Formats: sequence, structure tokens, C-alpha cells
Amino acid sequence: MSIEEQIREIMAKITHVEQSIITRESTFKDIKADSLDVVQALAAVEETFGIEIPDEEAQKFENFGDFVSYVERQVPQQERV
Amino acid sequence: MSFEGKLALVTGGGRGIGRAIGLKLAAQGADIIVNFFRRRDAAEQTAKDIEALGVRAEVVRANVGDPAKIDEMFDMIGDKFGHLDILISNAASGVGRPVMDIDVKAWEWTMDINTRACLLCSQRAARLMEGRGGKIVSLSSLGSFLVWPTYAVVGVSKAALEALTRYLAVELAPRGICVNAVGASFVQTEALKFYFEEQLALGNLPITPAGRMVTTEDVANVVAFLCSEEAFMIRGQTIIVDGGFSIGSAAFSLGRKD
Ligand SMILES: NC(=O)c1ccc[n+]([C@@H]2O[C@H](COP(=O)([O-])OP(=O)(O)OC[C@H]3O[C@@H](n4cnc5c(N)ncnc54)[C@H](OP(=O)(O)O)[C@@H]3O)[C@@H](O)[C@H]2O)c1
Repeated sequence: MSIEEQIREIMAKITHVEQSIITRESTFKDIKADSLDVVQALAAVEETFGIEIPDEEAQKFENFGDFVSYVERQVPQQERV
Repeated sequence: MSFEGKLALVTGGGRGIGRAIGLKLAAQGADIIVNFFRRRDAAEQTAKDIEALGVRAEVVRANVGDPAKIDEMFDMIGDKFGHLDILISNAASGVGRPVMDIDVKAWEWTMDINTRACLLCSQRAARLMEGRGGKIVSLSSLGSFLVWPTYAVVGVSKAALEALTRYLAVELAPRGICVNAVGASFVQTEALKFYFEEQLALGNLPITPAGRMVTTEDVANVVAFLCSEEAFMIRGQTIIVDGGFSIGSAAFSLGRKD
């Protein structure tokens, strides 16, 4: 599974939406994620990928794509499967 | 007071009051397990500072709002250490909203992390304390009985935590486990900024009769005392550490002659 697919799965599980409605352009609001859902998603993604996402960075995410791109930049290439 | 050879778990032990408690217990010889939720950097720094005191430190990530993660954390402790002597239920979170804006999600988030986690951690800890006794101390707040703006759901979670502390104290007493809580007033940490930034900025926080704000070390000192044998006969209590804030009006301190 790609990083994007894994994050989409995490996000959908937390907000109980269909994975198919989550596109790179979706805002957190589109995905029905409130601030608590976002914290949960951040924590789950941090744990899954062994990275840390500072809140200051997370606040800059305007949509799902920003979130995915940030994680893609943090996860070393060789660890990607 | 010596905690030599004892093993303590501090939930939310990476920063703030939890960090101060870990350092205090470590300074008296305890090995410390530092639990964190998202701030691994802070937890690792605290573990390093604890190790510098000559004891062992272990960092473990777990969202204590999630029962499965609590189980994983205690499975790890069981496998790696096989026992536990001290549990500090310190991790807390919350949603700062007036009562009319509290929804089910905000309620559950706060209660799960602040109250249910203490129950679930205590249950697992009690098993690891089997045959050796132990100490459980949780962190409460004056907001359990005083009303502060946007603090409602946290205040309620703390009131429940204090009630839970009494039940645990009685029901775990036959197992040789002492259970108490420490209730703090305003302590300078990130949590304080979150709830009371405006008041702080305006210099509006009521002055305490003791003449200064409570520090993380003030709280850690009392927590350490409750973990000691000297406190053996204190059970199910919430010890207030507030410099007299909750009993003396701010006017009190105006009369200070120093
Ligand atoms: N500060 C005050 O004025 C004050 C007053 C009265 C009582 N208290 C109580 O004292 C305790 C510590 O407060 P503090 O001011 O030190 O808090 P803080 O600075 O806000 O730190 C919160 C701590 O809890 C951890 N945490 C939050 N959610 C968690 C979760 N779901 N799972 C595991 N850990 C979690 C955090 O971990 P990360 O670092 O990984 O985020 C952090 O270590 C709390 O119980 C609080 O209610 C504080």
C-alpha cells in the first residue's frame, strides 16, 4: 500500500467516511474531520510511519494532499513499500 | 524517601508536570517508564535527563484514551520488567468549550483520556503489583470543584477521577496498594496556556496567598511524598497543592508584609 493509501485508510476509519470520497483536494471539513479527529489521525500516522508531525506543521495542511505530501517527505525513500 | 529498586510508570511523562514527577522519583532512585502520546522528542529528552540521574528510563508511546494501546503498553511492561511499583496517572487532554458547545465526541475524548484511562491503567497496574504492593497517584485539578471558563468537561472528568480514586483506594487496599490524587491549581505548563492564555496575558490570574504560582516541582514533591511509606495512612484523598488559592481570596495576599 502506498503512503497515500495508508493515510486514507486511517482517515476513513476515524471519520467513518468511504475511502473513495477522500481525494488529495479534500479538506478536513470535506472528510468530516473535526480537530479531535485530526489529532487522532496525526497520532495514528505518526505511529504507523515512526515520524513526528509538529502541530505547527499540521496547522498548515489545507487538504488531505498537503497531509500526504508532508508524510511522504518525512518517510525515508527506502522504507516505502 | 528512597525509591531505589522501584519501577514507576508516568503517563504523559514527557513534559510538564509528568516530566517533573519522573525526574523527582528518579532522583530518589526509581526507574521510570515515560509514556507519551505525540511528543516523542520531549519524552526522549526526559528519558535522557532521567538516565543522567543514574537510573533506568524507558519511553513508550500509547494513547491512553485507547484501551487497546493501554493493553499494549502494559503487555510491554509485563514482558520487559514483570512488575510495577508506582503508577502515576498524569496524562490529560480536553476540549475547552462552554457547556452549550460540548458534544458527545468532546465529552468522550476528555473522559476517556482523563478518567477511563486511570481506571484501565490501575487495573493493569494492580496485577503487576501483585504480591509486592504499590502506589497509584493521579493528577487532578481545582477545576473538579471550582468553575472556570471553558473548563467544564475537564472539570467533570477530574471530579470523576477523584471519586474513582476513593473507590480504588478502598478496593485495592487489600492488595497493599495505596491510591491518592493530587489536585493542583494553575501550574505553568502548556496546558495552562491552552486554557487560560487570555487571563495570563492580562496578568489576571488571581494571586495565591503563598505569593507565587505553583510550579511543576511543587506538585512533584507532593506526588513523591504520596508514593513514599510515610504517606501509608493517606488513602483515597485528593491533596490540594495550590498555595492556598482555593481557600484564601486574592485580597488575602494584598495584606502581605514582605
Ligand atoms: N497545568 C496546570 O495548570 C494543571 C493544573 C491542575 C491539574 N493539572 C493536571 O496535571 C496533569 C499534567 O498536566 P500538564 O499541565 O503537565 O499537561 P500538559 O503540559 O498539557 O501535558 C500533557 C501531557 O499528557 C500527555 N497526553 C495527552 N493526551 C494523552 C494521551 N491521549 N495519551 C497519553 N498521554 C497523553 C501529553 O503527552 P505528549 O507530550 O506526547 O503530547 C503530555 O505529556 C494533568 O492531569 C492535568 O490535568 C494541570
